[in-house]
Amino acid sequence: MSASDLTELAGPGQRGQAPDAGGGGAPAAPRPRKAKRGRRPLRTRLHRDWPLLVMTAPAAVLVVIFHYIPALGNIIAFQDYNPFLGDNPFEAFIHSDWIGFGNFQTLFEDPAFWDAVVNTLTITLFQLVFFFPLPIFLAILLNSVVSGKVRGFVQSVVYLPHFFSWVLVVTFFVQMLGGAGLLAQQLREAGLQPWDIMTNPDTFIVLVTAEGIWKDVGWGAIVFLAALSAIDQNLYEAAAADGAGRWRRLWHITLPGLRPVIVLLLILRLGDALSVGFEQYILQREAVGRQAAEVLDTFVYYNAIATQQWGLGAAAGLFKGVVGLVLILVANKLAHKLGEQGVYQKI
Amino acid sequence: MTDPLADAATNRRNFLGLIGLGAAAVAGGGLLAGCSEKAGSKGVASKADKGVLPKFKAVDMVKPDIPGEGPIPQGFLSYPTNLVDAISEKPGSGGPTIKTMAPWWGPVPPGLGRNSYLDAVNAELGVQVDPSLQDGNTYFDKLSATLGARDVPDLLVAPNWEIDKIARFSDAVKALFEDLTDYLAGDAVDAYPMLASLSTGAWEYSVWGGRLYAVPFPTDGPFAWALFQRKDLMDAAGVAAPTNVDELYQAGKKLTNPGKGVWAFGSVFDMVQQAFGCPGVQNGWRKKAGGGLEHKYETEEYRQALEFTVRLYKEKLVHPDVIATKGADEKTLFNGGKILMYQDGLGAWQGMQGEQSKVTPGYNMQPVPAFGAHPGTKPVLWGSEKPIFFTFVKKGLGADRTKEILRVLNWCAAPFGTKEWELRQYGVEGKHFTRGPDGPVPTDLGRKEVAEAQFTFLGGRVPAKWKSSDTPNYVQDYINYHKASIQYLEPDLFKGIKLELPANYSKVLQPTEDKIRDVLNGRRPLSDLDQIVSEFRSGGGDEGRAFLEKALADNGR
Repeated sequence: MSASDLTELAGPGQRGQAPDAGGGGAPAAPRPRKAKRGRRPLRTRLHRDWPLLVMTAPAAVLVVIFHYIPALGNIIAFQDYNPFLGDNPFEAFIHSDWIGFGNFQTLFEDPAFWDAVVNTLTITLFQLVFFFPLPIFLAILLNSVVSGKVRGFVQSVVYLPHFFSWVLVVTFFVQMLGGAGLLAQQLREAGLQPWDIMTNPDTFIVLVTAEGIWKDVGWGAIVFLAALSAIDQNLYEAAAADGAGRWRRLWHITLPGLRPVIVLLLILRLGDALSVGFEQYILQREAVGRQAAEVLDTFVYYNAIATQQWGLGAAAGLFKGVVGLVLILVANKLAHKLGEQGVYQKI
Repeated sequence: MTDPLADAATNRRNFLGLIGLGAAAVAGGGLLAGCSEKAGSKGVASKADKGVLPKFKAVDMVKPDIPGEGPIPQGFLSYPTNLVDAISEKPGSGGPTIKTMAPWWGPVPPGLGRNSYLDAVNAELGVQVDPSLQDGNTYFDKLSATLGARDVPDLLVAPNWEIDKIARFSDAVKALFEDLTDYLAGDAVDAYPMLASLSTGAWEYSVWGGRLYAVPFPTDGPFAWALFQRKDLMDAAGVAAPTNVDELYQAGKKLTNPGKGVWAFGSVFDMVQQAFGCPGVQNGWRKKAGGGLEHKYETEEYRQALEFTVRLYKEKLVHPDVIATKGADEKTLFNGGKILMYQDGLGAWQGMQGEQSKVTPGYNMQPVPAFGAHPGTKPVLWGSEKPIFFTFVKKGLGADRTKEILRVLNWCAAPFGTKEWELRQYGVEGKHFTRGPDGPVPTDLGRKEVAEAQFTFLGGRVPAKWKSSDTPNYVQDYINYHKASIQYLEPDLFKGIKLELPANYSKVLQPTEDKIRDVLNGRRPLSDLDQIVSEFRSGGGDEGRAFLEKALADNGR
């Protein structure tokens, strides 16, 4: 009984708290205290919080130097940017012509750009349905393996591909499934006609998703495994004592325990909806053609970086950022409506 | 319990307000577009000014067995026994380390401090050179970022085909690199006799905006591509080198054997286009009979070349890996006998032959003699006398330092047959190479530590081909191929004119090539070519045509 008492004491935030690597810690503290603290004078608060501020400082400095200051460079989205004007890169910003929304106009008028956006969103959606849930299943599966040795071994094996570069992964798939690969040669030896896996634009989306799963499903499971280990074992015991079977326990304890993490990762993934990776697509773009493999990042590479239209590239990047932000806000709002914490919460 | 995030959280409402503004600004973009301009360069064409060129003075230290003719390099059928000491003074005058950046297509040797070859050459130079070798296949990405960030090393080597892709390169040259006119123009080049021996034709390309900005690395062969064959394997299969495209197709049919993992072809499309006579100047322009220019996409020759190559793809005569990935390693497939014919630059030849003859006995890589599409027709071979590389000196290093660097470049330009050349090419005798009957033979250490991109690429040199023990027939084969093919070399309409293409034209090239690739791979029917061409024209092709026609007219051509 003592254990469940402890659970009571820890308050309602406890279950969502443990896997909170994503930074949703804010709501954990009870509200009345916060309201009071807001009235305290700055000096008292500084005096009280300075160790925390010092601990935050290095990270804050890094964020300012490597994220906020470079973000100022986004002004070239509104310029006909020529990096060679003036005596240094900063003068180049100043001397380049302002062209208002000309870059955005060029971008939005280009049908190839919208093709790329549609491709990117299609792939994101597809992977949301067919890729996103897999690490959760894998984590639950691994978590139910009793033998520590077996679990450790399986974990290592499925993590490993995450550390391979995309060049390696794509080469591996070509060697296995390509027209001159292992599978095709086996089929030929058996007198069959090998089918077209690596160069078929219609099934390309399945192929890239399969490559992504092979590479990253184990890695994605880590955070869910952590969340699983934080679920109170007593709940399972109590439920089992009350006669709940395996599936009911999964449905009523495990999944609700994982829900905050799932929602958090889902929101973050939505914010990244317009990024599906770059190397994987540029490597296979010629094999299946632009129609299937052109995503926003490869479009920017070919149309802005490769032709040095830096302003155009920055405009595409800004567009991507704004869309991502809007998606995060909407998803977060939705999460609140559903009673979840989301990425952050208003007080 | 204190919560450091709590205060920040109270401000999020303000933050959201800002976001709202941002969204409104983006949504309003359409309205504002009315008063905005389009970005992108409209293109610049300038003519070479002969007044700034260095005065040519040959260095006749070692007489070649086969003298160079125009763009065909000198040939040496034996290695000289007495090497000439061409430069007695140490080029370095105690300046700081010279940092360089150059492309290299091969394993990168160890860097300064871990490389005894670099130490040996640097001791001879009297100044430390610290080379940074970058993957040649992706050099453009590195180069464009380096220039864009305006963070260039003391010496930068840029291949001509990468420079063509860089927008506003003449602005970059003026902003980042030293004007070498006063150091090298006319008689001033006498202080650097090896540089003076580089051909005037090569120097002509080193002029931007009427000033001399780079040291050229003259080409040792004008052809952009050759079709290579594994002659040993083709002979074994009883297939002769094709002399027209029909024979090429028949050879493909005969040689392809997927069961054994062998396909006849790697990439061949560029060579097929040349066989059919498609133009290649500036990506495919030629003069039309009635005046003006036409692009290869618009020609009947191109349609036929495409149709032919589509057939090779459709009948699966091209290796699947070549189709399935960007930059499949065709050299490896070729060396392994998995493909028997593929197109490559002629620069690949000697290195592969030398390496592979040790691995595969009887390995014989040969270019297929240039052929026209049908019996009686002639090919059009693409190429030019453009230098392969340009070496730029960083701007603002001061006159003394610039002179020191130019003396180093002068040393790096010492021709075949000099002691400097041997040290640069092979390293130290007994350590990096041993002397065989046919000249130096690299040791394992030499193979590991020496790469031409470290010094040779920097200084240009009078192009030469010489006999080496691992490629005994190469010199004769190379020069014979050139002598037989030079008659088909397409004249460069824009010779000496420096072109910076309009952004809209540069931008339409890649999407068009993507669409052509769709046709090649069978994703679009051949009949779509008309539509592809009309999209090419409206997307920037016509703008490019007008720009190039004007450049020709301005130069009276």
